[in-house]
Amino acid sequence: MKILILGAGAVGGYWGARLTQAGIDTTFLLREKRAALVKANGLVVKSPKGDFTVPVKVVTRGDSGGPYDVVILACKGYDLDSAIASIAPAVGPDTTIVPMLNGHAHFATLDAKFGPARVAGGLARISGMLGPNGEILHSGASGVSFGERHGTAPRKALVDLDAACKKAGIDGGLNPDINQDLWDKWVMLGTIASMCAAMRGTVGDIVAAEDGAALVRETLDECCQVAAAAGHAPSAKVRAGLESGLTQPGGKAVASILGDMEKGGAVEARSIVGDMLMRARKAGVAAPNLRFAYAHLQAYEARRARGGLKS
Amino acid sequence: MRTLVLGAGAIGGYMGGRLHQSGADVTFLVRPARREALQRDGLVIKSTKGDITQQVKTVLGGAEGGPYDLVILTCKAYDLDSAIEAVAPAVKPGATVVPLLNGMRHLDVLDARFGAANVSGGLARVGVAMSPKGEILHTSPFAAVSFGERDGKPGRPALVELDAAVKKSGLDGGLHGNIIQDLWDKWIMLCTLAAMCCLMRGTSGDILEAAEGQAIMFETAEECRKVAAAAGCDPGETGMSTVRAFFSHKGSRFAASMLHDLEKGTMVEADHIVGDMIARAKKAGIATPNLRMSYAHLQVYLARRARGGIGKPAM
Repeated sequence: MKILILGAGAVGGYWGARLTQAGIDTTFLLREKRAALVKANGLVVKSPKGDFTVPVKVVTRGDSGGPYDVVILACKGYDLDSAIASIAPAVGPDTTIVPMLNGHAHFATLDAKFGPARVAGGLARISGMLGPNGEILHSGASGVSFGERHGTAPRKALVDLDAACKKAGIDGGLNPDINQDLWDKWVMLGTIASMCAAMRGTVGDIVAAEDGAALVRETLDECCQVAAAAGHAPSAKVRAGLESGLTQPGGKAVASILGDMEKGGAVEARSIVGDMLMRARKAGVAAPNLRFAYAHLQAYEARRARGGLKS
Repeated sequence: MRTLVLGAGAIGGYMGGRLHQSGADVTFLVRPARREALQRDGLVIKSTKGDITQQVKTVLGGAEGGPYDLVILTCKAYDLDSAIEAVAPAVKPGATVVPLLNGMRHLDVLDARFGAANVSGGLARVGVAMSPKGEILHTSPFAAVSFGERDGKPGRPALVELDAAVKKSGLDGGLHGNIIQDLWDKWIMLCTLAAMCCLMRGTSGDILEAAEGQAIMFETAEECRKVAAAAGCDPGETGMSTVRAFFSHKGSRFAASMLHDLEKGTMVEADHIVGDMIARAKKAGIATPNLRMSYAHLQVYLARRARGGIGKPAM
């Protein structure tokens, strides 16, 4: 099996480095600058599971090195269009695309471009970020989840990818109910991203406010109602787990979107919060907290666009 | 008439400086370091209405230099307790305290300490800040002060004299026949602006760029209006149209000073400006979902600040 991974950030980079380390035929499709750095240094991973550096295969064009059985998309939602243009030449008739983006909005775009049959469902639970020298600073969870979106038995490429993940020590893998998992993750992310962004603090900071925990619970409820309207309400157990994690006094948990904002970077406002709010409206779900959060993110984007973040 | 101004910071320094310049008998109650700077550099005002550097009278304690007819308080609400202690020796029988703070809650505290008869109402409307060098930087085209009897009666002689001094000095405003309404009008504007600029971390122009930014700002102003109305001080449609117009300027670079405070990591008047509005709403049975969200934001900021987490990455 041949795998192409677009991007070598925290998710794609960590996953691909582990696959390469385990002897799986993995290639990274990177921009020139990142490609030069990775070619020179290999992928440098700092991880609680052990630091390592591994030389990896790198291409800078989608039509090199193929054909690929699996193309993994680990870009941000706001980079989807350029990501599609980059991988298009690598996607043949028998290629399966495994997108690891947050939310749901990217499926419509990918389906329209490549046809739904070639697009699997996928998500990552890999926490980390890029360090100043392009190294991957992995900070904890290292799970992935992928599967068929239309209830069919998994195709061979996904079964092979599952085996490769197990060999590489990546948690998770093939998930028979990837749609539910996608909603579960989005509900979690929609809640924590909305709250950490609109409140500009960690879970512990938020819970320290009088109404902080109540606001988190309400926001979680808004997201759960949207998921329920789509037929994917999280189970009572999943919901209880989210609620306790997101209202933990002193909790250090924080959405990466807040880190992005504090660096003045681009944010996945639309795919994580805006699209959830839009679905709430369509489903007739009142979502006042998501509305505040999305307005906050849009005001941030407006201020960023006018160069007004440095005061 | 003798006036004591507590502090020579942005508002007190500007107002007191202009009164002194026009011949009023003004004394500033300051800390030793500020006195030293004032004696060395003078009180430096850089203003849209003209710059001036002048020597001013200072004292280090409220018992010095009196008796005073007027004691003007321009501290931040979170410094009120220490401000009261500082001016208390200067508030003798016959003296009137004129607080120029935002909100309303300080009036109860001052009444309890000095007696309601000795505390008038007052507020300032001025864009002014202190530079790191201690200069007073006045940036707004206006600089208004408003004060008056809280029971709506004609002003006592000290306030009438202050009114004359204000007019002579070129400051805008003066004695107000309904200072309580004016306090509410200002609080509605300020609370809306501070609540929104902080919750959204942007100028009113940035907030207007969000799809529902204007709707959210208007709702917030309406929450404040209901609280004012419950206190018998509804600003009416005319008052509210002024507020709404203010939050309708596309591209406005105007932000509440509280947002600047948040971004500098300093203390904020969260309880006084937003928290107290919510407390009054609750007593009156008024729902304030927007203020609630904003107050939570401010409390999160204070929690993060208290743990030393401001200016460091959240992640």
